[in-house]
Amino acid sequence: MSLAGIGVVARQEFRLRIRTGRWRWLLGAWLLVVTGFTGLLYAGLQHTTRTDDGAVMYGGLMLFVLALAALVAPALAAQSVNGDRERGVLAALQVTALGAGDIATGKLVAAWGTSVVFLALTLPDVLWCVAAGGVQLTRLLVTMGVMVLLLGVICAIALALSALLRRTTTSGLLSYLAVFALSIGTLVVFGLVSAATQETRVVHTPVDPNCSIDPGFSPGGCSGTYTESVVRTDRTWWLLAPNPFLILADSAPQTAKQKRGSSTDPLGSMARWVRDQRRGPTSSFTYGSLSSTRNPGAVWPWGLGFDVLLGAGGLWLTTRRLRTPTRKLARGARIA
Amino acid sequence: MTMTETSGRPPGIVAQGVRRTFGSVEAVRSVDFHAQPGEITALVGPNGAGKTTLLLVLATLLVPDAGSVSVAGYDPMTEAGEVRRRLGWAPDVFGLYDNLTAREYLEFFADAYRIPRPRGQQRAAELLALAHLPEYADSPVHVLSRGQKQRLGVVRAMVHDPEVLILDEPASGLDPRSRVDLKEMLREYAESGRTVVVSSHILSDLEELADRVVFIDKGLSVGEHVMSALPTSATSRRTWRLRSLDEPALVAALTRNGYSHSEPTAAGIDVDLADDAAAAALIAGLVNDKVPLVSCAPIGGALEAAYLELTEGRS
Ligand SMILES: Nc1ncnc2c1ncn2[C@@H]1O[C@H](COP(=O)(O)OP(=O)(O)OP(=O)(O)O)[C@@H](O)[C@H]1O
Ligand SMILES: [Mg+2]
Repeated sequence: MSLAGIGVVARQEFRLRIRTGRWRWLLGAWLLVVTGFTGLLYAGLQHTTRTDDGAVMYGGLMLFVLALAALVAPALAAQSVNGDRERGVLAALQVTALGAGDIATGKLVAAWGTSVVFLALTLPDVLWCVAAGGVQLTRLLVTMGVMVLLLGVICAIALALSALLRRTTTSGLLSYLAVFALSIGTLVVFGLVSAATQETRVVHTPVDPNCSIDPGFSPGGCSGTYTESVVRTDRTWWLLAPNPFLILADSAPQTAKQKRGSSTDPLGSMARWVRDQRRGPTSSFTYGSLSSTRNPGAVWPWGLGFDVLLGAGGLWLTTRRLRTPTRKLARGARIA
Repeated sequence: MTMTETSGRPPGIVAQGVRRTFGSVEAVRSVDFHAQPGEITALVGPNGAGKTTLLLVLATLLVPDAGSVSVAGYDPMTEAGEVRRRLGWAPDVFGLYDNLTAREYLEFFADAYRIPRPRGQQRAAELLALAHLPEYADSPVHVLSRGQKQRLGVVRAMVHDPEVLILDEPASGLDPRSRVDLKEMLREYAESGRTVVVSSHILSDLEELADRVVFIDKGLSVGEHVMSALPTSATSRRTWRLRSLDEPALVAALTRNGYSHSEPTAAGIDVDLADDAAAAALIAGLVNDKVPLVSCAPIGGALEAAYLELTEGRS
């Protein structure tokens, strides 16, 4: 594997993509949709009087852009290997001086690079949010960086599927399913598993100093025990971690005000929610002394780490499938 | 690029006992195959004989289940990189990148073989001329005709001036003129000391093209002929075709003289004859009988006869 080899493949992929012609329309449509969305957000916020409109707009925009990108990115990579095989151009490439790693990485770079071009097209709208105020530079840089990484992961997963599966339609479909599994599947599984692991616990209520209940009337009196069922999300939070939207939200640096929770910024609310899940249940009888004061740990390093490993695994798998000479062929597949 | 003298390594192709199966399909059961520098070696066999599979093994794309292979002195399995630097391969069916021009297509492969840019551009121009496509250099590949695409694919395999050139059915889809051009091109390439292997069904072409022919059938190598040593009609039994202005007279004369012959067709009447001497005797007799004979010639080439003999037993 070499930089030059990766460059040869990536440049070729870019050139072929650009030549197919539909790109100008696709990029135009993207720009239109994203700007339209930002405009609506802006208009909607005009009737409120807050100082961090920009942050709210920016959060909403980033979530929207990630959702759109999650639709585009799989399409960019999901046919790059089996499509070439179908067209009968892969084998000739495999006998050149290019190695399997060059081909796999070059294709990933091309797909990833294209999705980053889409992301770059949202910059005018991002600047609009910045102009509206309340978006600090670190937040902008970190969310953009995380977004770029997440796009790479999605492309790598789609690429691996295109290398593993013979038919382009199957790999396309499964790539979307994979993105769906990461973004919706994680939530569903988290919800179900958490519900299944509910437990009941006995709660000892402390004596209420202002108690005025007649002990003869209520058996426990002012102090007592009772049971409640709690959802131990502190044991299941990791199921949420790979969710790209939560990673994006949780990784965004927050201002002191956003940390206090006095902001309606969607990224901040999602971050608070997911960190609450990681902390798990707090006692319903907190007199300002229990775990609620414990600072809940961040979730995104785990999630992003996992996703990046997933992407790296995808690239590794693709390289392995492209390595020749081949011993095993997919059923019904011919090399040439 | 100059030929690298690989001391102690066998040049050309040496394959022994190659075997390759796909699940339960024994595509190649046991094939011995040799090809020498300076020669054009043809791989001939019926559909499904395993030609393409064998060539894929030689071209570093498939691992053989058994057997030993050496291409340009290196093992395609363990030294694929070394082999690839010295090997050009064109598959029987291939695609071209539709949105590239012919020139870009060749230059891309020059890049893929890590040929420096200026040299690659020069090479692409040379190959376009060789393929008789210079006027299409800047048109998109998808406007080329099937035969033109085929020619482009063949010269593409020669981008890095490989020591060993393997072409899977290069003549399919080519018109007679292009075939002659291909023959000349390959002949010239082989004469510069390189090894050329072609697979084909078009026996009449191979007759003039190949120096040696290896027959394979049902995954086995079943025969090998040096073209110049193939039996000719001078000494071996062959079918001859006779045409006359007066067909009934010809039939009557043949029957009278005890020759078994085929039903008359528009093309003529076929007779099996032992050798050239027997043919001369037949012609003399017919002329003597005043049969107005127009032509008398053996049909099919020496290669076709050998091929038909080989595949005769098939159901
Ligand atoms: N990838 C594969 N999977 C399963 N069977 C295969 C595969 N490749 C080839 N075969 C089988 O192996 C046999 C030999 O195929 P091969 O393509 O080598 O034949 P061929 O001699 O090139 O034929 P043709 O003259 O038609 O090109 C055939 O029966 C074919 O069906
Ligand atoms: Mg074949």
